[in-house]
Amino acid sequence: MRTPIDSRRLILDRIRTATQNQSQGALAYAELPRSYIRRGRLGAQDRLKLMIERLREYDAEVVECAPDELQAAIGAQLALSGRRVFVAPAGLPADWLAAGFDWKIDRDLAITEIEQAEGVVTTAFCGVADTGTIVLHHAESEGRRVLTLLPDWHLCILYASQVVETLPEYFDRCQLPPPLATYISGPSATADIEMTRIKGVHGPRFLNVVLVRDED
Amino acid sequence: MSGSFTGRPVLDPRLAPPFPTAALPVLRNPQLRKNVAHATDVIQSKRARLVAEKTDWQQLRTAAAAIRSHALNHLGEYLEEFEARCNAAGGTVHWASDAAEARSIILELLRQEQASEVIKIKTMTSAEIQLNPALEAAGIHAHETDLAELILQLGEDEPSHIVVPALHVNRSQVREIFARRMGLEGLPDDPPALAAAARNYLRQKFLTIPTAISGANFLIAETGSVAIVESEGNGRMCLTLPRTLITLTGIEKVLPRFQDLEVMLQLLARSATGERMSPYTSLWTGVTPGDGPERFHVVLLDNGRSSILARPTERQTLRCIRCAACLNTCPVYRLTGGHAYGSVYPGPIGAILTPQLMHMKYAQSLPFASSLCGACYEACPVKIDIPKVLLELRSQVVNQERVQAARFGDPMFIGMKAAHRIFSGARRFRAAQWLGRFALRLFTRRDGWIHSLPGLGAKWTQTRDLRGLPSQSFRQWWAARGKEDR
Amino acid sequence: MRASLFITCYNDTLFPETGRAVVRLLERLGVELDFHPQQTCCGQMHANTGFRPEAFSQAKRFMGLYRNAETVVIPSSSCVAMIRDQYPGLFEELGDQALRREFAALLPRVYELSEFLIDRLGVDDVGAYFPHRVTYHASCHSLRGLHVGDRPMRLLSKVRGLELVPLENMDRCCGFGGTFSIKNAEVSSAMLVAKLQEVLSTRAEYCTALDNSCLMHLGGAMHRQYAAMRTIHLAQILCATEAAPPEEAE
Repeated sequence: MRTPIDSRRLILDRIRTATQNQSQGALAYAELPRSYIRRGRLGAQDRLKLMIERLREYDAEVVECAPDELQAAIGAQLALSGRRVFVAPAGLPADWLAAGFDWKIDRDLAITEIEQAEGVVTTAFCGVADTGTIVLHHAESEGRRVLTLLPDWHLCILYASQVVETLPEYFDRCQLPPPLATYISGPSATADIEMTRIKGVHGPRFLNVVLVRDED
Repeated sequence: MSGSFTGRPVLDPRLAPPFPTAALPVLRNPQLRKNVAHATDVIQSKRARLVAEKTDWQQLRTAAAAIRSHALNHLGEYLEEFEARCNAAGGTVHWASDAAEARSIILELLRQEQASEVIKIKTMTSAEIQLNPALEAAGIHAHETDLAELILQLGEDEPSHIVVPALHVNRSQVREIFARRMGLEGLPDDPPALAAAARNYLRQKFLTIPTAISGANFLIAETGSVAIVESEGNGRMCLTLPRTLITLTGIEKVLPRFQDLEVMLQLLARSATGERMSPYTSLWTGVTPGDGPERFHVVLLDNGRSSILARPTERQTLRCIRCAACLNTCPVYRLTGGHAYGSVYPGPIGAILTPQLMHMKYAQSLPFASSLCGACYEACPVKIDIPKVLLELRSQVVNQERVQAARFGDPMFIGMKAAHRIFSGARRFRAAQWLGRFALRLFTRRDGWIHSLPGLGAKWTQTRDLRGLPSQSFRQWWAARGKEDR
Repeated sequence: MRASLFITCYNDTLFPETGRAVVRLLERLGVELDFHPQQTCCGQMHANTGFRPEAFSQAKRFMGLYRNAETVVIPSSSCVAMIRDQYPGLFEELGDQALRREFAALLPRVYELSEFLIDRLGVDDVGAYFPHRVTYHASCHSLRGLHVGDRPMRLLSKVRGLELVPLENMDRCCGFGGTFSIKNAEVSSAMLVAKLQEVLSTRAEYCTALDNSCLMHLGGAMHRQYAAMRTIHLAQILCATEAAPPEEAE
């Protein structure tokens, strides 16, 4: 019976033998061809317009507001949702926790408690307009991963200054690679039955976005 | 409901019938053919629209092919880097040289967890190592959580596509399976109702089963991170709710840097499902206290990959990111679906990967299951020259035949050797033409056409006529003309 | 302008009328053609079926005949693809660097017929007359191997009297695939049926292509099924004039 160390050695030896005669054309990492589009070409207004369009293609609800209208906008979205019990990450600004709702703040909440929440409110790290993607790095105001997974309704507060056009631009924004990330491009879906796209198998079926125009 | 006359399809290359035989029951099954053609046509047209929209598509392919090639050229270094970072971040990396070892590592981990059940995210690699039967034998029930895999598990069926494994099953077939296995008598057959049934059925499992098994789409060497791309959210459930997560992955999945995802993620969903991005992409590194599993294991699987790596032409097989664009574009797959390939990896990529993972001892009919049209190469986001690899593998299969006694009874082999002798000299060639003309006259009807031939020729004439050989070959005409004109 | 005609083994034996059309067409355009009587086969069938050493020996023989040719014209895109795509690998793999270099020098002088007309002769109007409804099938080798692009279409568009009908899913394989049509005859036939449905629905009188291999497969089924359509190689359409309509097949 091979020990774990033997297998490791065996596999790495096989790999070394397999790759030792490199072809002359083998490129170093820095030389790899990257002539794809990295930088977007849209102006700020068109970029935001694209982001909103893509989000709406996913049936996400999108409303825009000025920075001083944000609190009210959040309140309105919560009210429109018809839900009462919400969970929020511990780092979410306190004045966003509108009155009249049942708030569970995630300071080590049990999973069963999160299960009972009807919705969740978070911020995001970034939005990518090209693909309508919301990027979560699960920081203090974005919440741990399960928070945006179990509740059926997710309200995401996205700032215009956080929106980039292309996926490479998001990567440029990461000073360091994030240890945890979730990229959300539309609500959960499946096309496994006759290729018919159905929303919401697991994960939130309803995605709402408040886009804060902090660059106007 | 698999469509095969013999019941559950056989996806073990050691046991599966050769492709031409395995394809027959499928070709004769209109329902199955309709399901497969519909699914591939839908994804194809969605993909085509998005590819046209992405003006730097070809540059992305070039970059992706280069990144994947580079990673393979330096596979040892990148795997060691991944291992060091992942271990430093609280994960534990294991190395499995073959399927048996991978199963044994996983079983041991589950034994330590005292697990009697696990939840699984779809992973082709676990099917490759035949994990589920091994778990069952050890008294551990594996619950598939991907909708398609759930359909197949409950329906006692096998996957027929890499990305949409149940594409051969239609809604009423799904309804029947769910109604029977979930005890839902009045279940309607509209897809939303079916998806809701799956959601309810699985919810409690996600919340209560503490051990999960996943695959991986990408490993990031720079950070020791793992990335999984999915649509339904069952992946996220399995990655965050359980106490213990075991990720099984082929060694070839590694990318050098986090930033390389900017290329791969733009290609993957567009190629796989015809979407700009899949609904969820999850990236995690080792263990994060307070967020996700407390225990995280990665099982790196070789199982023949290092042998593929060693071969110059075949190495590109390992670039594959399992998008299945080649399946969706293949005119052969479109007609036969996946089960005919007798492997968990069907279609064009399966035709080159499967025999190689079997060290060319099995699945030898698969490299021939192609008309070499090249559509797969055109579609492949990492530019795998599948036709070129197919030709190389065909040559290896024939080289095996050259030393087997069976070749003396194989009309194809004999015919090819004879043809070679004929092509080796003009006089022989002309003699063969004369002989052919003479012999085929027996089969040529008054309308100048051949309707029926014996032996290998019958394979042609079962569906096609063949024009009788003209009485004068081109070279005979040229020679005669030369004498007249000049 | 001189050129050597490589007729291909299967055209020589099964479709000599295509060869005759190529000769008449090119001579009409002022090309002085020669035909090497020692030619046989380019080796494609063997290479594609896994018999590489045999293919190499046939490739070597081809080089022996054509190494000094000014230009080689071949009315078959699959054979040109074999030469262009696979000869370099064969010569490299089977250890003949000298041959590989010699081949590299010959390669730019090898043309498929439509390439020869458009690129070498610089003509798209060859003075043809073919008053029929025609549909064009893009063979996989011409499309993805040689990237002939719109060359055949340009040539067809200049043929007087010809009504070109587009073919749906023009770039989908017809299912011939060489020995695939025998080794996987049932799948090949199923692909053929799908293709034939689309070809017949054009209601053309003729289906044309750059390769008699595809046309033999399609035409064989048309004949079996009493379809009101025939296949004809592009060379025969281009050769046809008012004075000299195409030969009827025997």
